[in-house]
Amino acid sequence: MALVALNRGPVPGRRDPGKQRVVGMTVGVLAAFVVLVGQLWYLQVLEGARLQELSDKNRIRVRPVAAPRGVLFDRNGLPLVDNRPAFTLSLIPREIDDREKVLGRLSVLLKISYAELDDALGRVAADSLMPVRVRRGLTLEEVARVEEWKLELPGVIVEVEPQRAYPSSRFAAHLLGYVREASDDQLKQGRYRRGDMVGQSGLERVLDEHLRGRDGGERIEVDALGRSIRVMQAAEPNPGAQVVTTIDRRVQETAERAMEGKAGAVVVMDPRSGDVLALVSTPAYEIDRFTGTIDRAAWLRVVQDPDRPLLNRVIQGQYPPGSVFKVVVTAAGLQEGSLAPMDRVHCGGAFTLGDHTFHDWKKEGHGTVDLHRAIVHSCDVFFYQAGLKVGGTTIARYAQAFGLGRATGIDLSGEKIGLIPEPRAGRRGRRAFLAGDVANMAIGQGALLVTPLQVARAMAAVANGGVLWKPRLVQRVERPERGVIWSDPGRVMGHVELSPMVWAVLRQGLWGVVNEGGTGTAARIPGLDVAGKTGTAQTVANSKSEKGQDHAWFAAYAPAPNPEVVVVVFVERGGHGGAAAAPIARQILNAIFFEKVAMAGFTGS
Amino acid sequence: MIGIDRRLLQNVDWPLLLATAGLVAMSATTLSTLNVGRAGGGVALRQLGWAALGVLALLVVASLDYRKLVRAAPAFYLLGLGGLAAVFALGRSVSGARRWIALGPLTVQPSELFKLCFVLMAVWILTSRWAQPPGGSAIVMMLPVAAVPFVLVVKQPDLGTALLLVPVLLALLVGAGIRLKLLGALAAAGLGTLPAAWMVLKDYQRERILVYLDPVRDPLGSAYNVIQAKIAIGSGQLLGKGVAGATQSRLAFLPERHTDFIFAVFAETWGFVGCLVLLTCYGLLFVRGFDIAASSREPVGRLVALGVTGLIAFQVLINVGMVTGLLPVVGIPLPLMSYGGSSMLVSLMGLGLLLSVRMRQFQ
Repeated sequence: MALVALNRGPVPGRRDPGKQRVVGMTVGVLAAFVVLVGQLWYLQVLEGARLQELSDKNRIRVRPVAAPRGVLFDRNGLPLVDNRPAFTLSLIPREIDDREKVLGRLSVLLKISYAELDDALGRVAADSLMPVRVRRGLTLEEVARVEEWKLELPGVIVEVEPQRAYPSSRFAAHLLGYVREASDDQLKQGRYRRGDMVGQSGLERVLDEHLRGRDGGERIEVDALGRSIRVMQAAEPNPGAQVVTTIDRRVQETAERAMEGKAGAVVVMDPRSGDVLALVSTPAYEIDRFTGTIDRAAWLRVVQDPDRPLLNRVIQGQYPPGSVFKVVVTAAGLQEGSLAPMDRVHCGGAFTLGDHTFHDWKKEGHGTVDLHRAIVHSCDVFFYQAGLKVGGTTIARYAQAFGLGRATGIDLSGEKIGLIPEPRAGRRGRRAFLAGDVANMAIGQGALLVTPLQVARAMAAVANGGVLWKPRLVQRVERPERGVIWSDPGRVMGHVELSPMVWAVLRQGLWGVVNEGGTGTAARIPGLDVAGKTGTAQTVANSKSEKGQDHAWFAAYAPAPNPEVVVVVFVERGGHGGAAAAPIARQILNAIFFEKVAMAGFTGS
Repeated sequence: MIGIDRRLLQNVDWPLLLATAGLVAMSATTLSTLNVGRAGGGVALRQLGWAALGVLALLVVASLDYRKLVRAAPAFYLLGLGGLAAVFALGRSVSGARRWIALGPLTVQPSELFKLCFVLMAVWILTSRWAQPPGGSAIVMMLPVAAVPFVLVVKQPDLGTALLLVPVLLALLVGAGIRLKLLGALAAAGLGTLPAAWMVLKDYQRERILVYLDPVRDPLGSAYNVIQAKIAIGSGQLLGKGVAGATQSRLAFLPERHTDFIFAVFAETWGFVGCLVLLTCYGLLFVRGFDIAASSREPVGRLVALGVTGLIAFQVLINVGMVTGLLPVVGIPLPLMSYGGSSMLVSLMGLGLLLSVRMRQFQ
């Protein structure tokens, strides 16, 4: 602390420059003070009378004019979601003279609970000028009733605002996502104003920044009856940007229809680009109700529904892949040389390892099968042994190379990554990864967990020769006046490196599954080469479900020689993959390739 | 050291204390007329509580020798920086900003407390032996010392407080006797970085600046506050509307009427005359503060007094300028008036420093 030089007094007889400077600064600050006093004089004395008048009848109304949210289009220019004008009931706290009386009348008139109105008002200052929205989507009749009683309802106004409109009630609910008023938590982030509509899930959430646009507003002077006298200031709303997605609305609709009444997921993907043509998760929630007014009871019903309609099964559902996983085991074994196409195994319906017996799905067995027939008929006994030959570590490595157990990076929030068990996890006190676990893993059971989207991407890699795409949902975001402001050129996340021979064996096998009387025969379409793999994933017993306990998978691509689409169908507790999932894939493929009039422009890309 | 020398008491600056007492009293009265949020009238009482705590702190600080405080400045500075950093880890978020830390029942705002640490640290550098005479080397040392907290505070985000550090630093550099040419060059370099600064600002902060330049841009947002504040101030006219008549203030027009915009409430209630009284109190405060600086015989005392006075003066000028529509809305409280414990505490501790310098000027 000796660094501090203290007691350096001024040198006597010399002018002290420091002191002069302090005096200078004092003068400066006082001069600024004089400017402030001058401004106060201007405001309070010169302009005082005028401002007094403004304040007296400061019945200035602030009218926010909501910007219409941007429209989302499918790849052919059809709208996925649009806007329509809707009536919104708002309260201006400052103009409500007698809160109890006004709210009481309103509650009777519109059959809204008093508590709800009171609650909405309670969130803002009692003397706020800004209208508080209390209910969106009033019917014409309700609007008429409010207008009729207008004089008895000071501070109650009806505004016209754009609201989301969907082709149907549950259309693409998980893909699009719902839009609601900013929650209290979101308000705390400071980016939104109370009453702002914010995308809460799906694309609406991811693209919110682009879609929301910029609200306009008017400040209008109103008389005692609330009639506007003049507009003091106005700012036009600036609508949100348009988004062109990769979705094909007709494919999406077909897939949704095919999944009606079932719980599960469908992904349709273009293996040449990673474009997602359809993304379906069922059961879906009623997206139009979630976006409009929904009462608490209805909300709770959805949130607590045991079928979990809010879960986006495509990216958030994690399931064992079942026999679909045999594709990975085959690729690993052939590439590493531990399997050969002519390997033969006799399948008698079961395989014994130590003191444990592993059963085949077909009790009587498949007889003697080679690799090709093992794939075609999904012979478990063959793959138990194949798995042991290939080894757990290698299988896990190839699974990861195919993108399983890894985030796909799709532009939706909340994606789950699944799980590829680490075969070395036996150390540090945990149960060792035994040979039995490897056998189980080889048929896609055990601790393995994947999402339907991961399966779709892996199947796309088989179809396109090993390219692992980032699934693309959004082609571009554009503004009429500024053109394209953001675009996604597509991104390759990795490559699966396999020799041409391995690819050939795999593809022949998958073609056989559908066209040689294999497990996927139900997806066969005359005139179209469909290739695919079924999967039937055992689940933990659930006595409540009387139907089959197993999850049904079918992952397909077509046309086999030169694949244009990958279709993955997953049916929760649907039973056997070939019986429950393959027919749905067939229905979707049929629509894509044989209802071409409706699909104009799709295959031509 | 704490025991107060009788001779010291003879040099207490009574006008300064009187002006302070007047301001605190006006703050409490104004707050008591507001019916703010859910806190109700409790705001005024809490403000008085903080003021009492602040007076205690003032007495303690005044009884300490400021030279010893300056010697310990690096420790205070590091402590202050720690507080700023802690905000990110433990901070409580209020409307998007992480500025507060909860300490038991109290919440403190480290960026407020840091202001004084910063002044002491700057004085420490400028009066260190190696920096004599103050020039290039002092400035080079000063840059990181100022830049690190600046960035931390901007990130909270609390742009107003961060920007406040700039004029305070300038005042200290000028007062330390640094050649004006050197300062001019520094200022030019500072202006050069403005475009970069623009990039760092958050959208709403840019919006505020744009709204200041063009109020029609957003009639519902920031400009709304300023327009309503102007109406409130102006409608107070010469003599004010009195507590009962101040409709503009009581019928809330701004969300921050008890904090950053409290001057508008005061101006509507007491009019131009009231404003003159208020500004006279502040003016008295500054004149006494600068006088302490000018009459101090050694640089440490002079710079401490100058820094503290500058700190308070710039806050007052910026706040009143912003509420009356002369400056953009940057969110700086009005010292001693705005509701806020940390601000009150720091202002009173600063005044304690001033007193400490005054009482020891003949030693």
